[in-house]
Amino acid sequence: MASFEQHMHPKPTTFLSKYVFSFDHKVIGKQFLWYGIFGLGVGGMMALLIRWTLAFPGEAFPVLGQFLFPETAGIVPPDVYAMLFTMHGTIMIFYAITPILIGCFGNFCIPLMIGARDMVFPALNMLSFHLALISFVILLAGLFTPLGAAAGGWTSYPTLSTLVGSPGIGQTLWTLAIFVLGVSSTMGAINYITTIIVLRAPGMGYFDMPLTVWGLWLTAILNAIFLPVLGAGCLLLIFDRTFGTQFFLAGAAATNGVGDPVLFQHVFWIFGHPEVYILILPAWGMVSDMLSFFSRKPAFGAKATALAMTSITILSTLVYGHHMFTTQMSPLLTQSFMTLTMTISIPSAIFFANWLGTLWKGSIRFTSPMLFSLGVVFVFGLGGLTGLYLGTVTTDLYLHDTYFVVGHFHYTMAASVLLGGFAAIYFWMPKMFGVLMNETWAKIHFWGSMAGLNIVFFGMMLVGYAGMHRRLYNPFVYEFLEKTIPINTWITYGALLMGASQLIFVVSFIHAVFFKKEKAGANPWEVGTLEWTIPSPAPHYNFDKIPVVKCGPHEFGNPSLTSGRDFQYQTEELVKA
Amino acid sequence: MNKEASLDSLNGSIKDQYISNISTIVTLISFTMLFATLFLGYALYRLTAETWPPMGIEAPSLGLPIISTIVIFLSSVSYWMFEKNFEINKENKGWLWITSLLGFAFLGTQVTLWSSLKASGLYSSSGIFGSIIFGFTWIHAAHILMGIGALGWLAIKLKMDDMKLMTVQNVGKFWHFLGIIWLIMFITIFAI
Repeated sequence: MASFEQHMHPKPTTFLSKYVFSFDHKVIGKQFLWYGIFGLGVGGMMALLIRWTLAFPGEAFPVLGQFLFPETAGIVPPDVYAMLFTMHGTIMIFYAITPILIGCFGNFCIPLMIGARDMVFPALNMLSFHLALISFVILLAGLFTPLGAAAGGWTSYPTLSTLVGSPGIGQTLWTLAIFVLGVSSTMGAINYITTIIVLRAPGMGYFDMPLTVWGLWLTAILNAIFLPVLGAGCLLLIFDRTFGTQFFLAGAAATNGVGDPVLFQHVFWIFGHPEVYILILPAWGMVSDMLSFFSRKPAFGAKATALAMTSITILSTLVYGHHMFTTQMSPLLTQSFMTLTMTISIPSAIFFANWLGTLWKGSIRFTSPMLFSLGVVFVFGLGGLTGLYLGTVTTDLYLHDTYFVVGHFHYTMAASVLLGGFAAIYFWMPKMFGVLMNETWAKIHFWGSMAGLNIVFFGMMLVGYAGMHRRLYNPFVYEFLEKTIPINTWITYGALLMGASQLIFVVSFIHAVFFKKEKAGANPWEVGTLEWTIPSPAPHYNFDKIPVVKCGPHEFGNPSLTSGRDFQYQTEELVKA
Repeated sequence: MNKEASLDSLNGSIKDQYISNISTIVTLISFTMLFATLFLGYALYRLTAETWPPMGIEAPSLGLPIISTIVIFLSSVSYWMFEKNFEINKENKGWLWITSLLGFAFLGTQVTLWSSLKASGLYSSSGIFGSIIFGFTWIHAAHILMGIGALGWLAIKLKMDDMKLMTVQNVGKFWHFLGIIWLIMFITIFAI
């Protein structure tokens, strides 16, 4: 069998070629991990500033406030508040969740789990990380410009984002940063798609791939198709801001020759709705795998789960209008978008039932990755169900732009994706850095985060239902919202708890990576997918010999196992009874 | 288990071709979505307008755009000739140079178009009509520059022995793609 010989770069020797300009997918994955954790830190700090302002309006932010806002004696000023929620959203979505889930685990897991030695285009992969880095620098540079960073919300709707709404250079830098990041992610997506199609190990059909790879693959497909849509919108917005074009300038129709601000909303959400699935699909895939790994049972209906995720991918392209029910859309359109949105419940219910089916009567091992995966199941269930009220026109008209929306999308996009990311970090830690993280602290981290985020996001839904608007600096100037001050204070306590838990994670992570002496074995979790057949941490070439795949990824407790273990590697033949 | 899905029975060069073709297709889909978004916006502006071009604005004359169309069409033809020659004689770069020159000529016609539009009083800030003509041609011209970059890269890399026909074909796909985009722009923005 003439196996395909991938061109391999020689093992790097200098610091620069090893850690900065590396072609190795594992190193690029780790680079994205550090990048994402830094993003989480910055975005999280901004979240705390926002929460402080909402819980204690008019009071100085302790300690840091004096340095950040000397002219207001430590109180977050209103214009900075707008910058904070804008940058918090942008950083968390594009510079924290995306690099950890897609950049890090996409790069790290895909070649290892499909039995390849590297991505098809290692140079493109490296370029993708460096572009992402440049993009982050451009974005953060906005904070140091005279009028400050972008302040039009992470959605950057015109006219908030045109020169009328934000005259400073910050918004232009924001738009440019998103465009550059889009180019970077598209490059990554092209790489992932091609790698998965052509570099699967001999014998590995599409349904022999772990569901993690499925999730990442579908994500990459959505990225390749829909990021350019946002790119086009960003280009036109940059033109509007720098060259005086009038694409998104407000005005009545084209008879008097000016543009249409609502067009940007269309373009944004044509990209934006697939984007929420771009973020969640990798987490779904990982959770589907891990529930099976730690229940010591085959994934219930793995093929159905893969197909359900595929149909959600397709449906996700058709529902973007439910973000725009309040833009005077024709009722025919709102009804159609509502119906299509509700259709997504069907495949979602299928794979959710499959998750529960996987757990049913399993001999569950409550390791830290499993805890986080179960957290995803709970949190995503809650987030998904509250989405129904926002996808329905009648209820959305009331709930639109309230904190209910904020609570909902944090449950789905922040909480479940974040927990999924942590599950992945704890799970693949041995393969990335050769060590296991401390289980006790991991569990404290889990329960702290879980309690914290539920207080925060459930509280948000409550105050949203009470009518609190999502972007007000001081909502309590309105009499009917004064009664929500106690809940808002509690939300902030929850946020502090959540932030403190992440500090535990960071310390535990840094300790494990740099100081931990005790090395992990090749397969500490007793799992059969390809990456666990090689030593930990994964060697430079991944696989000495390209493995030949003989069975699926979830062969647990199968009566025809011959190895004497309760699992078997994908390279082992399943003996027919 | 799905045996036929893996490509292991194929030999190296055919597998190479798979990689190259799949990634080119994905790349072109991405670029298509970029331009499709622009045309979607244009369609919305145009369909919701009562008169087009908007009141008080003269539609630009067709002369320069027609010349641009001819030039970019010829460049596609010359690239096609280059590709045919490449199969016979790898050293022959003549047609590649002609393609690049025609690419630059196309950019020249675009620059002339921009200055003639400005001379006639149509600026990028002249309402949505000017915005579309200038914005779209800017984006397209930037891609033409990228395409010329790809042609130059090809010219340098051509000396290497392992340059394969499919690399030439894939650069060609991008070049022809830009031609098609221009044709759509010519028809929808200038001609009708």
